[in-house]
Amino acid sequence: MSRRLVILFAVLAAAAVGLSIYAMHLHRRVAREAQSAVEQQVAVAPAGNGPPETITLYVADDSDASVRKTQVSVVLPAERSERDRAILRTLMAQYLAAGTPHPVGAGSDIRQVYLMGEDTAVVDTNSAFADAHPAGVLAEKLTIASLVATLNANDNKIERVKILVNGQERDTLAGHADLRRFYEAGSIGQAELSWPRELGAPARGRTGRE
Amino acid sequence: MIAMFSLADRRVRLCLSLGVVVAFATAALLRHASVHAQTPEQLTIYSSQSNYSASIIDVKGVPYVGLVDVMEPLGTIDARPDGKKYKLRFTPPGGHAVEAQFNEGKDKAKVLGENLKLPANFVLQNGRGYVPLSAVPQILSKLLAKPVQLHAGARRMFIGDVAARFNVELDKSTPPKLVLSFPIAVNPTIATEPGRVRLIFRHEPVVAGEQAAYKFDDPVITGATFSEHDGEAELDVSATAPLLANFADGGKTVIVAAAPPPPAAPVASAPAPPQASQPAAAAPPKPPAAPRFLVIIDPAHGGADNGAAITPSLLEKDVVLALARRVARELTNRGIPAAMLRNSDVAISLDQRALSTNAARPALYISLHAANTGQGVHVFTSLLPAANLSRSGFLPWETAQAAFLDLSGVAAGSVAEELENRKLPNLTQSAPLRPMNNIAAPAIAIEIAPPDDKVENIAGARYEEQVAQSIAAGIAAIRSKLPEVRP
Repeated sequence: MSRRLVILFAVLAAAAVGLSIYAMHLHRRVAREAQSAVEQQVAVAPAGNGPPETITLYVADDSDASVRKTQVSVVLPAERSERDRAILRTLMAQYLAAGTPHPVGAGSDIRQVYLMGEDTAVVDTNSAFADAHPAGVLAEKLTIASLVATLNANDNKIERVKILVNGQERDTLAGHADLRRFYEAGSIGQAELSWPRELGAPARGRTGRE
Repeated sequence: MIAMFSLADRRVRLCLSLGVVVAFATAALLRHASVHAQTPEQLTIYSSQSNYSASIIDVKGVPYVGLVDVMEPLGTIDARPDGKKYKLRFTPPGGHAVEAQFNEGKDKAKVLGENLKLPANFVLQNGRGYVPLSAVPQILSKLLAKPVQLHAGARRMFIGDVAARFNVELDKSTPPKLVLSFPIAVNPTIATEPGRVRLIFRHEPVVAGEQAAYKFDDPVITGATFSEHDGEAELDVSATAPLLANFADGGKTVIVAAAPPPPAAPVASAPAPPQASQPAAAAPPKPPAAPRFLVIIDPAHGGADNGAAITPSLLEKDVVLALARRVARELTNRGIPAAMLRNSDVAISLDQRALSTNAARPALYISLHAANTGQGVHVFTSLLPAANLSRSGFLPWETAQAAFLDLSGVAAGSVAEELENRKLPNLTQSAPLRPMNNIAAPAIAIEIAPPDDKVENIAGARYEEQVAQSIAAGIAAIRSKLPEVRP
């Protein structure tokens, strides 16, 4: 092989190595920036123009598997679906705050709430909500229960709730809770006797042995 | 640059061509590797306790298996890394604890205090210890004090004297029959093709008898060949006519014979003589199969689906598989037949779990999960409104569980009571868990969380034993309330 060819291949090899290192550097920088963006992103309810209103949140607590009723004061938009979205974002902000009793994944947010007729809401969450949600039957169930109960408590015409992720239907939230179905606010309230605490006593003791 | 290339001689073109070929070959190899990574090979293990499988991983071209995967179904195992060391303590049922120690990246191990040289280095991955497949018989035979035979090429391993050799006998009556006699009841998958019938043994420790290939001096059944591959055994019977296989002697005998010729087509112009005076002899009706009580245990997740990461090295799929095996043993000890939907690290879709369960028609379905949310044991029934559906008719797929909610609640309450008796923190709720809604049988889900502030204690042997005993005792206590079903 001629000397010129050897030099050519050496230059090409060096260029390939250099480009690979630069590509890896860029890849890491993009990943760092994306992570940083996610960590800084906290759902904040959009400000409305009117006076503050008192809304009811059903906030999940992992320590005792409960969903507790609390009330907060926020300024809400006038339009119904925007208002529902703002309420759910206020709930999400509780879960994203430091020291939350029920953490969700960093960057979780409500993209949109679509109303279908009077009684049905389709809640479109972002990818981080599902992808980074703590996996577990209890953790996922508490999240869904609190979303549905909060929506129903503040917009009592809403009886059926469906949850989408990034505009798409998904099998489960994080491997456990069913996201294919519509959740009925009434049936959740009846079945979930252990939460909210205000709705009744814990479901325990039907052993059937008597 | 172009000018320089234009000056290049044939060697440059040759180099470029070789580069392209190498690039394609590399891409093909990577694709091949990724396909294999998605479907790990399995080692089928036969023992007197149970038959199960363990995933085989490839480490620098050498097949390895996880020690816990192989030994867990055989007794109580406590294995954990300690720095570069991996200490293992194994207690067989009713036996004394024995110990072994391995060192990451070393081929020297200590089993029952004796030095052992492995054929390749011990590997630690995500806190799990892996040994070369070829070393497993030596390690197991020492720890279990039993002979262990590995058919490495076929990926089958036999622990103790479990191998079932069969006899082959050709009955030359008309039509000729090939009689296969086994020492145990077998239930092979039977595939018939023109000129051959294949009996595939996936769950039985069937091995070749005196010979692996048979030639028969018969015009119909001409031969039979036994082979082992991919974790199963196969007997291939060849013939010159279509064959049928039938079972006899409670499954211990399989009779392969030529299929009867199809009945001649009726001739329309020749009316059949009246047969009222000669009623056809009706075959005596078969007695209905005896009802049986079966519990299906579903260890959630598996394969690429790890479930929750309890700790960086402790995955939900592994925790629930270990718990499922313990629950199955506890149920069997109480005389309750139990079957697991998976007994190794394999992926099963949610719909497939429901389909397999419904096909088995169990008295109870238990889905097992693990998480680090909360403390203790969470017992769930399906979050569906109760519906007044008939259990005997067709049920809607999405809400099949609604017809069984009352019985599911009874089972959940009974298990919760046993957890309470053992002073284990517990909670009973309903949950929108897939695939519970699709289960056409009483169904509960059990999610274990750490028993205390130490997350890694979720996989502790004592905790696992207490939870498994609570589940089994809870089911045993209400056995009479759950309907037995006919197979």
